[in-house]
Amino acid sequence: MVLDVKQVASLVVDYMRRNGLPVPAPRDAIYGWAKPLNLPDRGRVLLYTGGLYQLMPYISSLVEQLSKLEKGAASRLALGIARSLGRFMDLSRIAVRPDKRRVEYSNRVLRSIAVMLRRAGVEYAYPYEDDLYSGVILYDLGLDDEFSQHAERVYRALKGRGGEVLITVDPHTTHMMRSVYPKFVDGYDFEVKTYLEVLAEGDFKPLRIREGELVIHDPCLYARFEGVIDQPRKLLGKAGFRVLEPRRARRMTYCCGGPIEGLAPSLSKKIAGTRLEELKGVGKRIVTLCPICYANLTAVADGDVEIDDIAVKLVESVEE
Amino acid sequence: MKAYEATLDVSKAFREIEEALVDESLQEGLRRASLNAQRKVMELLEKRPELKDLARMVKEAKQYTIDHIEDVIEQALRSLESVNANPYLARTLEEARSIIGGIVGSGKLVVMSKTMAGEEIGLREHLEALGNEVWETDLGQLLVQLEDGRPMHTIAPAVHMTREKAISLIRERLGEDLPLDASVEEAVHRVRLFLREKFTKADVGISGANALAADTGSIVLVENEGNIRLVTGLPPVHIAIVPVDKLMPTLQDAIRLALVQAAYAGLYPPTYLNIISGPSSTADIEIHRVYGAHGPRELHVILLDNGRIKASKHPVLREQLRCIRCGRCQFECPVWIHTANKWGGPVYGGPMGINWTAITLDEEYAGGLATLCLTCARCDEACPVEIPLSRLLRYLKRVYLSRSR
Repeated sequence: MVLDVKQVASLVVDYMRRNGLPVPAPRDAIYGWAKPLNLPDRGRVLLYTGGLYQLMPYISSLVEQLSKLEKGAASRLALGIARSLGRFMDLSRIAVRPDKRRVEYSNRVLRSIAVMLRRAGVEYAYPYEDDLYSGVILYDLGLDDEFSQHAERVYRALKGRGGEVLITVDPHTTHMMRSVYPKFVDGYDFEVKTYLEVLAEGDFKPLRIREGELVIHDPCLYARFEGVIDQPRKLLGKAGFRVLEPRRARRMTYCCGGPIEGLAPSLSKKIAGTRLEELKGVGKRIVTLCPICYANLTAVADGDVEIDDIAVKLVESVEE
Repeated sequence: MKAYEATLDVSKAFREIEEALVDESLQEGLRRASLNAQRKVMELLEKRPELKDLARMVKEAKQYTIDHIEDVIEQALRSLESVNANPYLARTLEEARSIIGGIVGSGKLVVMSKTMAGEEIGLREHLEALGNEVWETDLGQLLVQLEDGRPMHTIAPAVHMTREKAISLIRERLGEDLPLDASVEEAVHRVRLFLREKFTKADVGISGANALAADTGSIVLVENEGNIRLVTGLPPVHIAIVPVDKLMPTLQDAIRLALVQAAYAGLYPPTYLNIISGPSSTADIEIHRVYGAHGPRELHVILLDNGRIKASKHPVLREQLRCIRCGRCQFECPVWIHTANKWGGPVYGGPMGINWTAITLDEEYAGGLATLCLTCARCDEACPVEIPLSRLLRYLKRVYLSRSR
């Protein structure tokens, strides 16, 4: 079943109007992870997550709900349902229940990043309520007007927190803030770095050396748009891991299928399966650098493979 | 479904894609073919880095054509006349069909070498409807003809067929007493014997072109099967259909393009490179020139516009006109690897195919298909002439969303 993008677009726009998030999730789902850390809430250098790690469990749940709706009817009928989804469905009736373990895992990734930055001596603040969603899905759906307005809001909110430098945590938000926002927001002047770049350039000193081999899955946007290729390898190497390269790696890396998960779940899963097979052929422990890759590859994995976010692997070497 | 009878129904295309996903033999065929093709091109480029320099030169020459398309067309028409070819400029596919139909007439035997431009205008069906017997001579394309289907890849049209399927098609449709467990070699041999007779008896041979040199009027065609030499060499009349984006400023540019196309298709060095400048002739008796020595006595060249000149002025889509149809973006695309040309439109497929569908058929329809693009940009990385394919697809997606929203 393939959903028409127009329906998905109107669904997303409706959700965004409610509280600025593209799926039904409470606002504090974005910044709740940082409450116990008591980070300064304004400063020149801001850790800006853009919410993608936190939202992925909600997005997965929503996609699952939509897929169920499709499967519930014969395929012809399903097309009709899909067509009318945006217009006729009472959105509040879609029950989005994120998997608790996935929520906890995302929070763990973010806490790991926060800890590693602190250990490396990076001084930064966290904008809490102003850690707004980047709007990446509006851009990906081609909703330029909506995206442009949203980007303006995000920019002003982060400026309001005194920001000049943004430290980002995932490839999509990095690409937005570094390469896309400048085209949409007048006077945009943030310097944007991923935490991987910050750590690789700075003082990443492991307290203990880890062992073992990890297969690296480069995310498309880091590898082909943002030049983040050597940094994760360098950091994993410093932490003591041996990095294994799949045949399709670095600039020729292979997509996890994630971007069309909401439109064409079965095609998306096929692509994820193709990639996972290739990664498994190199090693059984896989490291991802993007929450979408993590979710999509995990969704097709069975018990014989271990998938982790790079932050979770790196932090093992700096924790006391 | 042929281009001219396309229903432009996006959800129908999506249903076809769903069917493709559960077609295990198609999936397996595509998996093997794409892995092999990816490996071949990668190894080739490592071994011969000079091919990348050649590709850069082709990119520049192509860009010149796009920037000066009307002038280049004018020059090509004059050059073709100067080598005694008969040039035509067809603005639409209907015009192209009627010109070619007029030249061929009816009751003829026609042999064709694989031409995507021919597919684009529905040429084979048109000539058959006029009462001609028409045969594709590229093996893959012949199989597609026998199947009554459409090419699933730009240079490997029957990439979706297993050996068993190919052999049973040859058996059923050519009336050959080929055993079902025949080897591929036997099947190829049978087709060779069958087509040999068609080649020698054919009244007309129809080819496409990889490039046409505007400065000399030379058609350049690259191939491995040898069918193109026969199609363009044996019948008394040769018709070449050449989309205007295939015009190259010079003959050297055109030859470079053919080499780059072969390389990025993983077929390097190519077995044959054909250069055709006008009909064959001899002046061996009293220096009196006679046309139609051993080759054709007539050469007709149809330059096909069908949206391309308009696209050359388009701020985004113009970049697609640099395409040399090597098909590498298809073999490298994660979506294409599971859908083949079922994703892309009635003729062209994959990343470049959707953009070609936008140029030659309909932007909004192409945009609907483009919504399945991952925007992973692997195609951008693969393209020898650096077309930002994923950016064009993103543009089309936007067109689709902005209409009737």
